[in-house]
Amino acid sequence: MGTLLVAAALVGPVLAPFDPAAAVAPQLAEPMPPAAPFYLGTDDLGRDVLSRLLYGARISLLVGVIAMIVTMAIGTAIGLTAGYFGGVTDVLLMRATDVMLAFPGLLLAVALVAVLRPSVWTIFVVIGLVSWTGVARVIRSEVLSLREREYVLAARAMGGRNGRILWRHVLPNALPTIVVIAALSTSGTILLDAGLSFLGIGVPPPTPTWGRMIQEATSYYRVAPWLMLFPGVAVLFAVLSFNFIAYGLAGDGRAPGA
Amino acid sequence: MHMVAARGRRLASAVALATWVVAGVLGCARDRLDWPARRSGDRHGGVLSLAAAEDVPTLDPAIGYDTTSWFFEEHLFETLVTYDESSTLIPALAERWEISPDRRRYRFVLAAGVVFSDGTPLTASDVVGSLERVLEPRTRSQGAEYFRGIRGAREFVTGTATHVAGLTALDTGTLAIELAEPDPLFLHKLALMFAAVVPAALAQRLGDDFTSQPIGSGPFVLREWRRGERIVLARNPRYRRSDLPYLDGIVEQIGVNQQLAWLMFESGELDVAQIPPADFPAVMRDPARAEQAIHATTLTTAYLGLNCRMPPLDDRRVRQALNYAVNRAEVIALLNGRGIPARGIVPPNLPGYHGDFPGYGFDPTKARALLAEAGHAQGFATELWTQGADTDVKIAQKIQQDLAKIGVDLGIKLVAWSPFLEAIRQPRTVPIFDLGWSADFPDPSNFLDVLFHSSRWDANNHTFYANPTVDRLLDRARTLADEVERVHLYAEAERLIVEDAPAIFLYHPITYVIRHPRVHGYAIHAFLPARLTEVWLDPEP
Repeated sequence: MGTLLVAAALVGPVLAPFDPAAAVAPQLAEPMPPAAPFYLGTDDLGRDVLSRLLYGARISLLVGVIAMIVTMAIGTAIGLTAGYFGGVTDVLLMRATDVMLAFPGLLLAVALVAVLRPSVWTIFVVIGLVSWTGVARVIRSEVLSLREREYVLAARAMGGRNGRILWRHVLPNALPTIVVIAALSTSGTILLDAGLSFLGIGVPPPTPTWGRMIQEATSYYRVAPWLMLFPGVAVLFAVLSFNFIAYGLAGDGRAPGA
Repeated sequence: MHMVAARGRRLASAVALATWVVAGVLGCARDRLDWPARRSGDRHGGVLSLAAAEDVPTLDPAIGYDTTSWFFEEHLFETLVTYDESSTLIPALAERWEISPDRRRYRFVLAAGVVFSDGTPLTASDVVGSLERVLEPRTRSQGAEYFRGIRGAREFVTGTATHVAGLTALDTGTLAIELAEPDPLFLHKLALMFAAVVPAALAQRLGDDFTSQPIGSGPFVLREWRRGERIVLARNPRYRRSDLPYLDGIVEQIGVNQQLAWLMFESGELDVAQIPPADFPAVMRDPARAEQAIHATTLTTAYLGLNCRMPPLDDRRVRQALNYAVNRAEVIALLNGRGIPARGIVPPNLPGYHGDFPGYGFDPTKARALLAEAGHAQGFATELWTQGADTDVKIAQKIQQDLAKIGVDLGIKLVAWSPFLEAIRQPRTVPIFDLGWSADFPDPSNFLDVLFHSSRWDANNHTFYANPTVDRLLDRARTLADEVERVHLYAEAERLIVEDAPAIFLYHPITYVIRHPRVHGYAIHAFLPARLTEVWLDPEP
C-alpha cells in the first residue's frame, strides 16, 4: 500500500492525464461526475480531480516526510539529552515539553503560519515545531533504560565522553524505536498538513494538496460528493499505510508508545 | 463610498441583506420572544426571520460604514431625504425643500408631528445636532468628510466655533443649510445614514453608548441585541406612518454561515436566503424554487487593482495586456452567470454608464503583443492579494490560469480583510489586489473621483493612479450644476481611465436572493440594503 503511494508520488505527474492547475473540463462552475476522460470527475474550476490527486500525492508525501524529519531531529535531540543526562536537564526539558504539549498542536501551527509567510518551507518547519513533543517523550524513556545497560556503563567507566557515548552507543541502540516512531509520525504530519490546508493556510494555491482539495469541496458536498470523497480516501490511505509500516517495524502489530 | 471585498461577505447591500434575511431562525426565536397575536385577513403582523454569519458592527449612524450596520440603521432611523426603488431622491423626514438660485442655500420643511421612538418630538434642532455630532472630531465619524462643505464646518471642526454657522433651525419644523460652495451631490449626502436624525441631546449624553440604546424615528425599534447571538427589532408604534411597517418584528440570528443558512432556509426555518454557488444551478433548474428567487444588478464593480507605481505594472501596455488576457465570460461562468462583464468602472443603471463602451475583450494574442512591445515577451512574475473567502480564491485561481497563458506567473496571497486593507494603502507593497466598490449614492463621481483622482492616494485610490487630464476633468465636474455637462465630463474621464487601465475591470455582480413563498413585497435595492418596511407575510394557516 505504501509502495503504491510512493509510486504515485514519484510517477504521478507522468501518469496524470491533465495539467492539475488548468481548466480542462468543457464546463465551469458545475463539477462533472466521474466519467471518461475525467475518471474521478472535475471540480468547479474545471480541473481534473485525478490529476490533482496525483500531483497532490507528491506534495502531501513530501511535506509528510520532510516535516517528519524535522520532527524527529528536534524530538530525538531533546529526548536523548533529557534521558541520558537526567537530573536538572531532564526536569527542565521535560517540563518544557509538557508546556508544548499543553498547546493544541493545530492551533499552535495556525498561529505560527500566521506569523511566518505561508510557503512549503514554512509548513515543514511549523509542523516540525509543533509535533516533536511525543517523539521526545518516547525517546527519553527508551534512553532512560539504555543508559543503565552494561555497555554504556562500561564505556563511561573507560572514561568515554558523553557526546561520544550518546553518538556511538545510545543512539544506535535507540534506532529501532526511532524508526518506528518516524513511520508513525509521518502519518501524523500528513494529517496535520491536510488540516492546515483545509483551514486555508497550507501550501498556497494552485498547488494541489489533498487538504485544500477537501476544503474546496466542502461547499459541494451535496451536489458533487466525489470532490470530497477522493482526496479524503487518499488521506486515509496514506495515514493508514504509514501506521501499518510502523506496526510492522515494531514487530508485534502494536505501535510503540501508542 | 464603501469598499467591498469584490465577492466576499461585504459585497453588496443586497447580498448582505439576503444573508440577514436568510438567517432568522423563525422557530426557536419566536418561541422565546412574545409577539402580538396575528389578526387574520390583514397584512399586518408576523416576524421575519433572518440569519447572518457575523454580528452587527454598530447601530450608531454616525459610526456605521458597512452594509450590515446600514441595514439595521435604515430600519431604526430616518434621513431628511431618501431613495425610491429606482434610486430617485424622494422626501423622508423632510416633507419638502427649496434650493436658492445660487445653489448654496437649502431650506427644509420637516414632516409634522414626527416623534422619536421614546416619545420626544423630532425638531429642526435635532437635525442640526445630528449633523454637528457627525462633524465633531470626538465622534470619530468617517462620514464627517461629506459635510465639511457646509459653511462654518471647518471652524467647528477646528474648535474655533461652537456651532456650525451654516446650520440653522429656523423654528421647530424648518431648517436652513448653507454651503460654502455649490455641491450638486449635497442632497445625496443627506440621504446617507451618516445624516440620520437622532435625538441630539440624548446622543450627546450617551456618547459611545448610543449604539446600544439607539433611539430614532424609523419604522422599527431595537428590542434586543445579544452580541454574537441575535438581534431583534420590533415594530415602532410611534412611526410617522401609522399603517407601516407591516411586520411585528425582525429576528436575525447571528453566527450562521451561508451553508447552514441555506439548510435552514430549505427546511422552512428562514424567510430569505442567499443561494450558495454550489446549489445555484440546481435551484435555477427547479421551476418552483427558481420562481422564488429574485435578482438585481447592484451598483457595484468588481476589479483587480493594478499598482501603477510598481514595475512592470507602471507600464500602461502591461496593464492593458493583463486586461486583454482575462476571459471575463468564464469568470462570470464561475459565478454561475451572476454578473455582467465590466467594460469600464461605472456600473449599469448609473447616469454615465456606457453600454456601448468597447472596454477590453478577451484577446490573448493582443495581450502577448502588448507585453512584447513593453519588453516582457517572456512574461514576468507578480502577485495577487486577495482575502481568503471561497469565491475570491476561486476567481483568483481562474485569473491565474488566464495570465499563465500569456506568460505571466501570478502568485496568490491570501490575506485577512483588515491586514489586506492596511497593505493596499502602502505605496509599493501590493502589486495586484482583488476589490470591489459599491456606490453610496448613484453618481459616477462616487466611482471615478473616489477611486482614480490622484488626490485620493491616501483614501481609496489604492492603484496610485495619476493622470493630470483626468484630475482636471473630475475637478471641473465636481461643482458643475449642468447635469448633462457633468455626465459628459465623467464619461470623458472614464474613457481616459479605462485606456490607462489602472485596474482589470472584471464584472458587475448580479445579486440573487431567494424568498419563502409566504414573503411578499421583498425587493433588492440597487445600492441600499433591503428595506423591510413594506414587507408582509402570509398569515399562518
